[in-house]
Amino acid sequence: MTSTPVIDVDRLNLSYGDFHAVRDLSFQVMRGEFYALLGTNGAGKTSTLETIEGHRTATSGTVRVFGQSPRDRQAVRPRMGIMLQESGFSPDLTVRESVRLIGQLTQRTDKVDRVLGIVDLTRKAGTKVSQLSGGEKRRLDFATAVYGTPELVFLDEPTTGLDIQSRDDLWDAVDELREAGSTIVLTTHYLEEAQQRADRIGLMHKGAFHREGTVSELTRTLPSTIDFTLPPHAPMPPLQATRENDGKFLIETFELQKDLHTLLGWAQDNAIELGELEAGPTSLDDVFRAIDSV
Amino acid sequence: MFSIALGELIQIFRNRLVLVTSFVLPIAMSAFFIYQHDLFAKIGSLGYIAAVVLFFVAAFGLYTSTVTTLASRRQNLFLKRLRSTAISDAGIMTGLLLPVTVIALVQVAVILTVLAVVTGTPAHIALVAVAVLAALLMMLGLGLATAGVTNSPEHAQVTTLPISLITIGTATWVGIAGTDSLPLLKRLLPGGSVTELLLNGWNGGVPLKDSLILLGPSFAWVAVSITLATRLFRWEPRR
Repeated sequence: MTSTPVIDVDRLNLSYGDFHAVRDLSFQVMRGEFYALLGTNGAGKTSTLETIEGHRTATSGTVRVFGQSPRDRQAVRPRMGIMLQESGFSPDLTVRESVRLIGQLTQRTDKVDRVLGIVDLTRKAGTKVSQLSGGEKRRLDFATAVYGTPELVFLDEPTTGLDIQSRDDLWDAVDELREAGSTIVLTTHYLEEAQQRADRIGLMHKGAFHREGTVSELTRTLPSTIDFTLPPHAPMPPLQATRENDGKFLIETFELQKDLHTLLGWAQDNAIELGELEAGPTSLDDVFRAIDSV
Repeated sequence: MFSIALGELIQIFRNRLVLVTSFVLPIAMSAFFIYQHDLFAKIGSLGYIAAVVLFFVAAFGLYTSTVTTLASRRQNLFLKRLRSTAISDAGIMTGLLLPVTVIALVQVAVILTVLAVVTGTPAHIALVAVAVLAALLMMLGLGLATAGVTNSPEHAQVTTLPISLITIGTATWVGIAGTDSLPLLKRLLPGGSVTELLLNGWNGGVPLKDSLILLGPSFAWVAVSITLATRLFRWEPRR
């Protein structure tokens, strides 16, 4: 990963009539980076993504991809692969014909059989698109996006409808793209996929960034939690704990290890058994849920 | 562009409905008119037969196929997929419409040649050629415009009816009744002046100067259809 921005978004605004889908959004994606754009439904991530891809025009602000306008297809598109959220293939063409057609139009060079092999569609090469399952169509979509190993790949909900094996295969292929130096921009509802793979995450809410940073930077803004139950007539724990409706105690802490050590020491000294004990760092899910309270 | 055109050609030959609408129906109707040319020449003239077969091909072969193709490609987001690549919008559109346009042009050329072989050569071939060109361009533009207000291939069965009926009806009206009465109205209707141009070109007997005046309204309709196309056509489905 280098410090050269592949994508440079500066004060982007997008409006549809009176509705402001995106407000003053600014961010950069560096060469070789894996950037995840996440958000609640209607947060504006698809509008943002489609503007960066060149499918939409910004109401105001600037978007540069490889230093150029993304609307300049001839200059930008040969260097980028786009996996759309929805299929977009002609039902009467076969898998091979579809990959060949879209591949030729990207102006990149590759072998159709190699690309079909990546997504395990070699045996379906002669099958019409109309006869593919939803998951197979997603894999076909991925195949056209990675045709010719583009420098920048957009993955819009790439694993929706895929079984576990296909998901693993897809992420293996993405890993290979990264090893080849490609920059990846991902949107997904599967937060664990972003948490495991993204170098940085932009978390959108109501058209703007709620937070942006690495997973660690995002999760450290919220406290870790320790949950447990106490036997009847046990004394109150030594840390500030709140009692939940289900009778469980909840401790929120930014010093998980220290406070967990204190709690366990207290329980041992007083011969108290902590029931249903659960302790863990904040996950991206917790950060995501916290958006709703904003 | 040519790879898109090749893909479209493959799809036309795999889709029976489009194949019947684009190929079989216009050719069957044209064959009937040519076979019964004595009867239809009495009703109108040989030029009338030429005009009617031209508009059968233009309406059912070119116009309806254009609307159905574009509505279908937009509905299944194939247009968006194509726009995700390096090719320009003009290149996409040319690639998509090249097969149906070439097919329509070849159909008209073959049918009119057969008519000429059976009934005799037209008086002014150049006028006939210009009329064919104007008719096909107008129907292509109207096809793009109609595709803009057509949500799906099924919807195209409804949205293509008015223009198809009006153009074929106008060709029939002008072809049979001529333009002695209500000349302004007939020439201003879509296909009216083109039909008169074709009648003059095929039948002869009209000074060339009078025919050339018809180029104005004929190409005005081409301009109108292209203007409508640029204003009404949309690349993505309404959400």
